[in-house]
Amino acid sequence: MMKKKEEEEDPNHNHPTIPTSPLSSIDSRFNQTLRNVQGLLKGRSFPGKVLITRRTDPIDYPTLLSPGIRSPTDNNCGPSNNMDDSVEKEARIRSQTNTDSDNSKLKTSTSTNESATKEVEKSTMGARATDSARIMKFTKELSAPAVILDKLRELAWSGVPPYLRPSVWRLLLGYAPPNSDRRESVLRRKRLEYLDCVAQYYDVSDNERTDEEINMLRQISVDCPRTVPDVAFFQQAEVQKSLERILYTWAIRHPASGYVQGINDLLTPFLVVFLSEHLEDGLDKWSMLNLSVEDISNIEADCYWCLSKLLEGMQDHYTFAQPGIQRLVFKLKELVRRIDEPVSRHMEEQGLEFLQFAFRWFNCLLIREIPFHLINRLWDTYLAEGDALPDFLVYIFASFLLTWSDKLLKLDFQEMVMFLQHLPTQNWTYMELEVVLSRAYMWHSMFESCPSHLAS
Amino acid sequence: MSGYRGEEEYDYLFKLVLIGDSGVGKSNLLSRFTRNEFNLESKSTIGVEFATKTLNVDSKVIKAQIWDTAGQERYRAITSAYYRGAVGALLVYDVTRNVTFENIERWLKELRDHTDPNIVVMLIGNKSDLQHLSAVSTEDAKAFAERESLYFMETSALEATNVENAFKEVLSQIYHIVSKKAVETGNESSSLPSKGETINVKDDSSAPKKSSCCSS
Repeated sequence: MMKKKEEEEDPNHNHPTIPTSPLSSIDSRFNQTLRNVQGLLKGRSFPGKVLITRRTDPIDYPTLLSPGIRSPTDNNCGPSNNMDDSVEKEARIRSQTNTDSDNSKLKTSTSTNESATKEVEKSTMGARATDSARIMKFTKELSAPAVILDKLRELAWSGVPPYLRPSVWRLLLGYAPPNSDRRESVLRRKRLEYLDCVAQYYDVSDNERTDEEINMLRQISVDCPRTVPDVAFFQQAEVQKSLERILYTWAIRHPASGYVQGINDLLTPFLVVFLSEHLEDGLDKWSMLNLSVEDISNIEADCYWCLSKLLEGMQDHYTFAQPGIQRLVFKLKELVRRIDEPVSRHMEEQGLEFLQFAFRWFNCLLIREIPFHLINRLWDTYLAEGDALPDFLVYIFASFLLTWSDKLLKLDFQEMVMFLQHLPTQNWTYMELEVVLSRAYMWHSMFESCPSHLAS
Repeated sequence: MSGYRGEEEYDYLFKLVLIGDSGVGKSNLLSRFTRNEFNLESKSTIGVEFATKTLNVDSKVIKAQIWDTAGQERYRAITSAYYRGAVGALLVYDVTRNVTFENIERWLKELRDHTDPNIVVMLIGNKSDLQHLSAVSTEDAKAFAERESLYFMETSALEATNVENAFKEVLSQIYHIVSKKAVETGNESSSLPSKGETINVKDDSSAPKKSSCCSS
């Protein structure tokens, strides 16, 4: 139901791309370039950030739609960027006041030469002033008597300041009500309800459980110790116990799917975010032992309800044979074929099936594929998409895959399967992730405004 | 066979599958065999994972293409698609958890339903390093394997006990069947023996489709 508002408001924004190239230093032509960019972005509110691409030729819409757009990140910028706050990381160029905007003008403005566009890239990476402005916007939205979710989504799409994340996520998922005077009481009631569920379903002896339930609990208890095992925090016994309680309670209350491996992964961003309200410093210093029983119960409840809300929109992703995932994998294949014909053909010639690598992407929403510390930022965008998330995932994953389009063309079947199952994202920073998201946004705008491009 | 550029040479390509309950150690058996690695806290397998290893059997170069599958029942609809074309299977249980051995019968049925009847199957009792916790006796497992005409071995991926042996045994048995058949049919030179016995993954690809934007 929640469609991307931006498109509805402005049918005229199919070109959110700024041709630019790897980082270079700021120089005096920045202002000129900024004006060009503002011209480019006229008439639209632009979530995400400007696409960084290697293209240096003027953007021509028909060219953009033709197959074979090469990905920008093979020479990726690496971890040169040391800022570690997602808010600070985001290079953002937001729409400014504007009046006249038309396509011919867009083309003119995108014809800026390469050096000029470099400057935009560099300068926006460090745009701190915008960040405090953004935080103020968030604060303003959140302190309203009734939060306007559409506005919050628009802000959150580009990343949520970490300390606001718990509140923002609860709102975006529809767990906390937008009305501030109802919020506390609703959360209190929901948290009690979770406590009741745990008492009723989890805190019972095995002889009160059916065989099926015993099986499910066994499966969950096998998986909890191997949930994000590379992050030490998750090796704490209390953390694993919390995961187990939440997952089992969720599974019992969602019998259509029950627990499916990978749902344990989906729980982890929630746990980390809601714990961050109670624990200081970094994840590596956290201990659940510093929390009261009540705190733990409330955190678990928030995780439980947010997981429930998240999966509400993806129910058939986890039912028998997982038809929802199969459908999205098929859509992904079609989209990739439209965007990058050479890669698509190469994969087909090699007999590589999308299911062989993309199944896990959809099943675990990319948690297995990128470093854990980037997941929260990714989820800001996921949750901002709301009900439109499943469809948008296809664009994100296409963008993710085509990060390595040049590389893929050089691999044979076996190399490709292994490469795609162990993607070299270990050193990724927010920057690489932002590129993936912006490009997804651009492709989404392009194809949504011209659906026939997707018809096959 | 049209090898893709850069692809190593081999005489036979055999597809194997690793199946069995969740948490019995399938992925670690695979990583021990293919990379000599073991990870105590490995993540659960979602869908399927894949690795290869090339080794010599009777002076022939055998390339094993091994599909490691998720153990949870929910994934069977997905994973069973990967049984097609498999010429060998390692059916794994955990010697410390009897339920994983009890489920072997269902896994076997699953396998029989989706694969060629001549597939070489080995029953594997993994985690043999945890002898003191053993819940499945070697004799019971052996008896079951005999009854079902399966090969049998106890392994420890952690201590690297019998892992190489197990895979090698399966691959040798496959090779012997294949080479025997090749002799019988007078077709020894063929590197692609009869249907269902070896798989060339490239055969799965259909002709590339031409497509361009706005054309359809």
